[in-house]
Amino acid sequence: MFLKELTELSGVSGCEYEVRNYIKNKLSEIGCEYYVDKLGNVIAHNKGRKNKTIMVAAHMDEVGLIVSHIDSDGFIKFQAVGGIDQRVLNSKAVLVGENKIPGVIGSKAVHLMSDEERGKSVPIDKLYIDIGSESKTETEKLVGIGDYVTFKSDYVEFGDNLIKAKALDDRAGCSIILELLSMKLDADFYGVFTVMEEVGLRGAETAAYQLEPDLGIILEGTICADMPEIKDYNKITSIGKGAALSLMDGSTVYDIDVVRSVAKIADNNNIMYQFRSSSSGGNDAGVIHKTKKGAKVVAISVPCRYIHSSVNVASKRDLESVSELAKKVILENQKGE
Amino acid sequence: MFNSELMKKLSDCFGPSGRENTIREMIAEEVKAYADEISIDPLGNLIARKKGTGKKVLFSAHMDQIGIIITHVDEKGFLRFANVGGLNAKELLGLRMVFDNGLEGVICHEELKDKEKITMGKLFIDVASTDKEFISKNFRVGDMCVFKTEYYETEDCVICKAADDRIGCYILIEALKNHPETDNDVYYVFSVQEEVGCRGAKTAGYSINPDLAIAVDVTATGDTPDGIKMDVKLGGGAAIKLMDKSIITHTDVKDLLTNLAEENNIKYQYEILEFGGTDAGPIHTSREGVPSGVISIPTRNIHTSGEIFSKFDVEECIKLINAAAK
Amino acid sequence: MLKEFLFDICTNQFVSGFEHSNGDILTKYFRTYTDSLEKDNLGSYIFKANGSNDTKIMLAAHIDEIGLMVTKILEGGFLSFTSVGGINPASLVAQDVTVFGSENIFGVIGIKPPHVTSEEERKNPLKLSDLYIDTGYTKEKLEKIVKIGDIATIKREPLSLQGSVISAKALDDRACVAVMLEAAKELKKISHKSNVYFTATIQEETGMRGAKTSSYKISPDIGIVLDVGFGMTPDMPPDTAHLGKGPVVAYGGRLNAKLTKKFVEVCKKYNYPIQYEAVPAGTGTDTDALQITKDGIPCILLSIPLRYMHTSVETIDLRDVENTGKAIARFINELDNSDLEEILCF
Repeated sequence: MFLKELTELSGVSGCEYEVRNYIKNKLSEIGCEYYVDKLGNVIAHNKGRKNKTIMVAAHMDEVGLIVSHIDSDGFIKFQAVGGIDQRVLNSKAVLVGENKIPGVIGSKAVHLMSDEERGKSVPIDKLYIDIGSESKTETEKLVGIGDYVTFKSDYVEFGDNLIKAKALDDRAGCSIILELLSMKLDADFYGVFTVMEEVGLRGAETAAYQLEPDLGIILEGTICADMPEIKDYNKITSIGKGAALSLMDGSTVYDIDVVRSVAKIADNNNIMYQFRSSSSGGNDAGVIHKTKKGAKVVAISVPCRYIHSSVNVASKRDLESVSELAKKVILENQKGE
Repeated sequence: MFNSELMKKLSDCFGPSGRENTIREMIAEEVKAYADEISIDPLGNLIARKKGTGKKVLFSAHMDQIGIIITHVDEKGFLRFANVGGLNAKELLGLRMVFDNGLEGVICHEELKDKEKITMGKLFIDVASTDKEFISKNFRVGDMCVFKTEYYETEDCVICKAADDRIGCYILIEALKNHPETDNDVYYVFSVQEEVGCRGAKTAGYSINPDLAIAVDVTATGDTPDGIKMDVKLGGGAAIKLMDKSIITHTDVKDLLTNLAEENNIKYQYEILEFGGTDAGPIHTSREGVPSGVISIPTRNIHTSGEIFSKFDVEECIKLINAAAK
Repeated sequence: MLKEFLFDICTNQFVSGFEHSNGDILTKYFRTYTDSLEKDNLGSYIFKANGSNDTKIMLAAHIDEIGLMVTKILEGGFLSFTSVGGINPASLVAQDVTVFGSENIFGVIGIKPPHVTSEEERKNPLKLSDLYIDTGYTKEKLEKIVKIGDIATIKREPLSLQGSVISAKALDDRACVAVMLEAAKELKKISHKSNVYFTATIQEETGMRGAKTSSYKISPDIGIVLDVGFGMTPDMPPDTAHLGKGPVVAYGGRLNAKLTKKFVEVCKKYNYPIQYEAVPAGTGTDTDALQITKDGIPCILLSIPLRYMHTSVETIDLRDVENTGKAIARFINELDNSDLEEILCF
């Protein structure tokens, strides 16, 4: 229920205000206790039966751009915030700064391109945002260095229960945590909405330092490459095949016993799941599992096609699987003896 | 006297990063008679403590070895994989691998047009079976495997897999057995997940918060034909590390180890490694900082299926650890 | 005073990992304006100026510089070496060096002459292993003075260029240690309520190690990180800052937005010149370590524009150093009289 609104908010890494304020409002509506820490993480507490300290984390931030320079003609130069492939920036509509000034990232007319240039992507330092102003002075009245830029992309439901939106990585995780908190489960856990995952897993580290969890459940949006001409073994995850359980990525080697016990919970409850078959990438688990004396972690993700672009695609059914599985894992871990 | 039986057992034991259960149990068995207290922390580090009222000293050697994780199983018995820890595609061609359950496979490659450009994506493991049921029953996504190599030794040296860092574990086990008389509170830590970023060491260092920490790990040598330029060689004694990418050893710690070596007639050499890191990295920047150093075992051919070290160097390392414990 | 301090401190070595030898030079200058000196377990220098309330403000500038470490002693009195921190080998060619052995000796890094180097070889990028320090001693004599692991730095006399522009080695990051000195001097004139910790961090060039341990020790409420940034020259991109136009204020995820805004307001109010930059993720400075120490430290990052970074002819404008020091003192004064909690909350 929260996903549409969450994905349409601006929250590039380092500037998560809109998302944070939305979440704070929802938490008040739900009647859930929370506080905001020094880095801006929102830490909510669902009280209930407790055997261990559980931290359920999802990051509020999305990849985007940041204004780095306004040139003499009023065009805006920028840098990427988080990993953005330069190829996804061609011909896009964007929103600049707090006031969401509309702009476009264009591309040279194809008629003027040499044979070699055609089809090639342009490196980020040669791109710029055009807000239609006539001069540097005019632009400077509206836009400042350090302003954040998001893609303009509407939430759309299409096809067989699919969703297209920006920032499914990781508003999907955030919306699932809000759902879990609104259920008022009789199981103790912290719902943590972290900042700056995309630029170095920053928020999660200080949050874990404060909470000292025994178990971290990380809800993410992850790579899904189930497109035509991609071999089975390179797809990593597939749409519609359920919640993706991570085995290993660039920042964590997941305890196989913990992963298999989560898989068992899924089996016992008829929840569809798959394994994420890649050792690349990373998420908040990377810092949570080795903060202070350490913690066990498991990552349960929603497969997203075209991740880190303005057109993420995911399946509603997979979202439900992740939500259901996270709930069962929390309940199972806080079960009475 | 070199304990070949122990080293062979350590080298043969299964334990890639993140799957250290078996090696941890094996080492726990070896040390339980000698330690005052044995504990296992949330990441899986094995900590054998000799209690004392004096300063806290931490020794760390990592239990994990490099390996391979299976990312895809097809019904014909061809397994796709990714590396766990530092491994190079071209060093894997044709190697025999073994799984935790004892089954084996061979690393094969797709047809290569340009023999030079080998990448992980072009490799797969062939488990030598056409029986679909056998394959699906025994091989799953997420399983790990390691090199299959026979332990071999000559009078003075050893060839085996996982000398990095089972030889460090060997040294700590033997040092613990010879633990000297001292008031110091000494922790022999057998850490996890060093090969994927010294992760176990970070949490162990934070929890124990020692006054002095010494990591024990392998280092490269400069004594092979047209090899890297390094002054370390097999037979040159325990290597006292001056610098690598994870630590610049403080002069005081360097002097401490040097003096101990000289006072106790231990042969030593200085080591500067222009790449790589050890458990001392995260431990020395833990909390307000911990004075730390590294005692290294010169080893040739690191991160391959046949690592080579000198028994004499190992003996010198054990002596130096015992001296440092006091 | 600033020029004298910089000329003194830049001619002495503080190579990453070896910053303990010359600490008394720092103390000589900082003791006039601060109350005590403490160190963390790795050796960072923490000079404290006591305040009257509980607020802790940490200033961080790294004292360490990049350098060389001897790896082998060769026939003919040559030394092979490796770098401590990131060095472009090309910047080492044809330089005077000092090797810090049991005594300090002079050396030269040269290069193979053109007539024995093929056209091909001359085009290839130089590696550290292609270079040697020439000491002029025999191997036997040299071995008595120098050991593997000894460090060396380029020998460079600081230069006064036009106006207030100077050039020296290690202005990265001594220029900012000088900013801290200026801020300490200004704060001594005004009585301040906050406790200010002027921290000369160690081993920034090799991974911000001193920043991590010193901030853990101090546990400050906020951090003001000072490092050098790129300065404009013909070959730099258009968004590069200019010498003489004030410190560069950084905007991005690693910095606290409201605290940064407050600093900018203070500068505008008192007419201190400033420039701006966007930093989406890693800053490459002590900020990266400070921000996530313990439960987090809100930071701002100020950079002094510097040309030719990581060479022995780093160039800055002293006006930037002075203005930044004064602006920080003003800023701390303003914070003393503001609701810090309100500024830091989300």
